[in-house]
Amino acid sequence: MSNDQRLLARLLRHALVAAAALLLWSAVAIAAPAGTVIGLSGACFVDSGGQRVPLKIGQAVQVTDTVEVPADGKLKLRMADGSVVSVAAGTRVTISAYVVDAGGQRVSANLSLAQGLVRAVVSPMGQPATFEVATAVGAAAARSTDWFIEASAGAMQVGVLTGSVSMTSRATGRGETIPARWGARLEAGRDPVPARLWSPAEFQAVISRTDVP
Amino acid sequence: MSRGRGWRAAAAAIVWAVLLGFGSLASTAFAYTAAGDRLFPATILLPQISPGDEFYTNVMDLPSTPSGIGTPDHQTNLNMVFAKTITDRLGVFVEETYTQLGRVGGGSLNGWQNFDMSVKYLTVLDLPHEFLLTLGLDREFGDTGARRVGASPSGATTPQIFFGKGLGDLDVGYLRPVAITGFVGYQAADSRPRPDQAVGGLTLQYSIPYLQSKVQTLDLPEVLRTVTPITEFLFSTPAGQSFGTRTTALFAPGVSYAGEGWELAVEALVPATRATGRGVGVTAQLHLALDYLVPDTLGRPLFSAP
Repeated sequence: MSNDQRLLARLLRHALVAAAALLLWSAVAIAAPAGTVIGLSGACFVDSGGQRVPLKIGQAVQVTDTVEVPADGKLKLRMADGSVVSVAAGTRVTISAYVVDAGGQRVSANLSLAQGLVRAVVSPMGQPATFEVATAVGAAAARSTDWFIEASAGAMQVGVLTGSVSMTSRATGRGETIPARWGARLEAGRDPVPARLWSPAEFQAVISRTDVP
Repeated sequence: MSRGRGWRAAAAAIVWAVLLGFGSLASTAFAYTAAGDRLFPATILLPQISPGDEFYTNVMDLPSTPSGIGTPDHQTNLNMVFAKTITDRLGVFVEETYTQLGRVGGGSLNGWQNFDMSVKYLTVLDLPHEFLLTLGLDREFGDTGARRVGASPSGATTPQIFFGKGLGDLDVGYLRPVAITGFVGYQAADSRPRPDQAVGGLTLQYSIPYLQSKVQTLDLPEVLRTVTPITEFLFSTPAGQSFGTRTTALFAPGVSYAGEGWELAVEALVPATRATGRGVGVTAQLHLALDYLVPDTLGRPLFSAP
């Protein structure tokens, strides 16, 4: 075997090992639950693989699952990276992606909020990793913060308790950064409305709507 | 300060304090400058219409009407204001102005104007109707500035009412980005010969950010998307005996450009009376929103809900 052949064989071996490691890591990431129910009131459901089943405390939710919280319910999830997602009454949210590495560090997280209100207390990570929530009109992303996002017909709004969140219009691509104690709205097909300070009363309203006993 | 004048100022302050207290009981209003999705840009000539955590500085240059050799023919002011919220609704403003007077025949006079401080209380904030109402009390401390640049040895106390109203809740199409703000006040001097004065002003503004985010998103150049064309109008007129003080009125058309947490405004100064000035001047202002830039420290009220 020539030197070139030996080098090629060694490269192929390394590539195979790397591919196997990647597959193993992906399998772990896919198999692990995206989150677990830690708080519940009312008859909440999860739509998982076409099956709609009632949620209960301790139950795992997976990527691609859609949770539904009725008008008289509330739900709290602890996600795989330690982030806590509180879901208000009348909300429907899908876990589009939730990738956590072997050390429990979030790689990426994507929720899709069809309607309703969600509070996300996003755990800080040792690496850059966003936590994004998409709605029909735009998306909002954070790294480590405590924030609210609400989707309604033709609009969304974001309120930030700590940290900062970026909100981007799906139609125009324009975005803005919303700092702590501020909030902003976004209407379908428009630029984001300039952020403004939210009053304590406004924050209290969304806190109480997402506060799971 | 004469005894009678002092009592009048004190009485005005007490009445205003009672009104402020009444407002706090009567209103369920929220506590911020923006009224719903309406943001009122910082003004240059007029005082800000509500409390906030902000710092801004502006420079103003205006030709004035001389009355002979050695009298001013030009005035340049550098103004600095720091505002701090005490609670979510209550804030204080401190203001200093440095003046340079150019004189006929050469030479100039420089010095500080009187130290000025005000308290403002946001009494009504109607989010759906884009309306806010603020009560204020301004105090100019007499003899704290340089008389050579016009600072009065007498102080003055000015109860004020501020308002802001956006047209976004009305079915007026492309006029929805229009907003009007303004204030009126009665400046009660501490002592003669400084006269009492009625003061006030209005602004008319058209918010391109409001147009883009609430009415119609147009394919505008980036630089125009955050611009608000604005015209300010400020007046003062003696109430009662004038002691030679004349009515002043100043128009200031211009634009305000907003970034994230800051605004830069430039306006022309057009005197409407001879006593105000004798030609067109210019003013520019940089405004920093501390509650945006440093929301967790300097930018938050001293006392607020967690």
